[in-house]
Amino acid sequence: MATTALKATARRLLAGGVCLAAAGLVAAPALAQSITVVREVDSDRYDPHRSTARAASEVLFMVADTLVSLDYDMQTVKPGLAERWEVSDDGKTYTFHLKDGVKFCDGKKMTAADVVYSLKRWIDPATKSPVAWRAGEVEDIVAVDDRTVEYRLKAPFSELLYQLTQSFAVVIDQATVEKLGGDFGVKGFNGTGPYCWVEWRPRNDLKLARNPDYNWGPPIYENTGPAQVEEIVWKIVPEENTRMAAVATGQSEITQYVPYSTLNTLRANPQLLVSQSDAAFWTYFAGFKIDREMVSEEAVRQAMVLAVDQDAIAENLYFGEVEPAHSYISQAALDWDKDLDDKLIRTDVEKAGKLLDEAGWKMESDGFRYKNGKKLSPVAYSFAGSTWQKLMEAMQGDLRKVGVDLDIQAFDATIAWGKMATQEFDVFGMSYPYISAGDALNLYFRSANTPTPNRMNWKDPETDELLDRGKAALDPETRAQAYGKVLEKVHQAAVWIPLYHEPMKLVQTKKLAPVKPHNIYGCGLYKGLDIKFQ
Amino acid sequence: MAQHVLYRLLLAVPVLFGVLLLGFLLLQLVPGDPATVIAGPMAPPAVIEEIRRELGLDKPVIVQFFLYLVRVLQGDLGHSLISNTSVIEELAAAVGPTVELMVACLVWSVPLGIAMGTVAAVRQGGLLDRVIMAFSVAGVSMPIFFIGLLLMQYFGFVWQLLPFIGRGGPLWSIDGLRHIVLPAVSLGLIFIGPVARMTRTAVLEVLRADHVRTARAKGLREKTVVLKHALRNALIPVVTLVGLQAGYLLGGAVVTESIYSWPGVGRLAVGAILSSDFPLAQGAIMVLALAFIIINLIVDVLYAVLDPRVQRS
Repeated sequence: MATTALKATARRLLAGGVCLAAAGLVAAPALAQSITVVREVDSDRYDPHRSTARAASEVLFMVADTLVSLDYDMQTVKPGLAERWEVSDDGKTYTFHLKDGVKFCDGKKMTAADVVYSLKRWIDPATKSPVAWRAGEVEDIVAVDDRTVEYRLKAPFSELLYQLTQSFAVVIDQATVEKLGGDFGVKGFNGTGPYCWVEWRPRNDLKLARNPDYNWGPPIYENTGPAQVEEIVWKIVPEENTRMAAVATGQSEITQYVPYSTLNTLRANPQLLVSQSDAAFWTYFAGFKIDREMVSEEAVRQAMVLAVDQDAIAENLYFGEVEPAHSYISQAALDWDKDLDDKLIRTDVEKAGKLLDEAGWKMESDGFRYKNGKKLSPVAYSFAGSTWQKLMEAMQGDLRKVGVDLDIQAFDATIAWGKMATQEFDVFGMSYPYISAGDALNLYFRSANTPTPNRMNWKDPETDELLDRGKAALDPETRAQAYGKVLEKVHQAAVWIPLYHEPMKLVQTKKLAPVKPHNIYGCGLYKGLDIKFQ
Repeated sequence: MAQHVLYRLLLAVPVLFGVLLLGFLLLQLVPGDPATVIAGPMAPPAVIEEIRRELGLDKPVIVQFFLYLVRVLQGDLGHSLISNTSVIEELAAAVGPTVELMVACLVWSVPLGIAMGTVAAVRQGGLLDRVIMAFSVAGVSMPIFFIGLLLMQYFGFVWQLLPFIGRGGPLWSIDGLRHIVLPAVSLGLIFIGPVARMTRTAVLEVLRADHVRTARAKGLREKTVVLKHALRNALIPVVTLVGLQAGYLLGGAVVTESIYSWPGVGRLAVGAILSSDFPLAQGAIMVLALAFIIINLIVDVLYAVLDPRVQRS
């Protein structure tokens, strides 16, 4: 009798469970024309002048516009909010003529005054923008009339247009900034982009809706507006395999954040498309603090550079999906000096050993080198986490072959930046995005930029002079030559160990028309104007 | 009863203070410097120092704690160091999904656990008993992240039956329901084991009691004997266990929420700790502690309702 009763109870429970499951398994209709983009991390906020994270730029490019835009080749500047522009002969005045009919998401007309406000807010010391230097040495920015902006520099800055394509230079609405105060870019945003800000739930998702009035997109797109999907949801999924599974199962339509190890599996999936940009402008390197005793000898640094096998790292750690770096910047970058093509950094373990022998570092029975009783054991500071841990260990293995004992000390990202601002290490690991040789070299090798971002303490008046020359050059050849000389100089002094250039890869469902990956500041979707369902 | 509840509430005050103090001290030990995080990678040390002063991080830890305590008593949990949003707002947005997840977990796992335990007790020593107990042991032994990834792999990735990223919407919507299935099942699977085992033991004990023998002697149907006379009496220890385990579920929810990107308090706490967002992490810890205290309070009250001797003591 007990069995009968229990069977009845179990039946009831089972029936309830089945109903629940059945209800759950009914396919839910997705919001028409809505796409979800999964990514690893969120930004701290979406204020163009206060956020330097790639995660912020990804969204800012979509919700706002810049005066000029950058073509897929990462070299050609195209119109943006400005339909045309002129540069004065002395290279100090840029005059931008704005497109007519541009409106903010709230319907307000955008004028030259908005451009002036945005750019001045960027360079205002009160804003404390960490990237204000990118705006050049500004004398003044003036609204000549409603549709003309004059950008006056104290000295020529040949990269200005490229810097103005970045998300730091987007145009924002003054009234919204003032109304929201500290909550600007947190609880709201008002830009002129192809998508409008809807809602941000920090660390979860950020929703953008199509701006129906948008028709002033950059000419690099076939569709200059409006956007072709109703909604974009940027969703944070920290776990990399979950992101991969999300795009494989259609829970995310597109992403650039999938582990390299899964790319071949994804390529084999007939429902997915993996595409890649031609150029890789995100470079990983290990830098030397050149005035630290352990690595102060040029020969030691050169030996360490020669000992590291970039090709093996790219092949073994990244399944051949990244480009081994044989220079500090990509050869495809703007202002790359072609004269350096035959002076690239190549692995040569034998030469590395010879250099160390000549420098007096003798190999002992334990397999490591010593000089005056001191072991050649540089301390390397790195980020904790899979990417840097693997990279540092690969370098450690290569360096061990020539008798160098790399002492790796990894820190959580939240303190690593602080640690790397100190003077207590010999080697550090870092990666960075850039648009041109000048962009990269001016940031990292200027004497004035010590202790950060010039963590190498590379102080050299000749480098500064060459950088000034490149920065002020009025023609591309002079600029490339000046930067080429800087690069040759720092290559020779072995200030960095170049590791690899990271290309932009997009994985998308074939339900979407193929999206061409951009590479601006590592933001593969750029303005998202070509995202559409097939 | 009111006195009992009041007594329990008063006891919660020192517990909450202890949790706040411990949470605060533990966060001091977590590697990470919020000032560096806020300042960004390019900031010179002077700027970082200025931010540290602005945030009051240069003051002694004990002073920082008491200043924090005063603000908490005034209902001000501060602002997130990262997004500048109010901690209360962020927590308010995250509490709903966590409660939703816990309810969705309990609603199927507790009845099923009790049913399985009762069946096992009635069929003691039989094949069904062994299978149920083996299932319970597996449920207790398997780490939740393993169960979560396993379910995600098959139900989400291979068979593509259910979504596994985030919350699809309110629980009453189809999309919301679909999204909660895998997290709720993952969390529930670790819950069934202890409930089934405890129910089995309790039912077995009660089935041997005099009042059950009397009930049978009176000629009652076995269904009535088991469900009304045995199970009801066996539920007292089970309720206690469910209460205690529900507290631990909060811990499980931290892992489940992280795996399934569920926007609840657990995930918020993990994210806040990883990004050195001290006010938010502290707020999340406080909410989790409060939830634990409230759950235990409810269990205490329920216990008193089920067994009047508790009130008298």
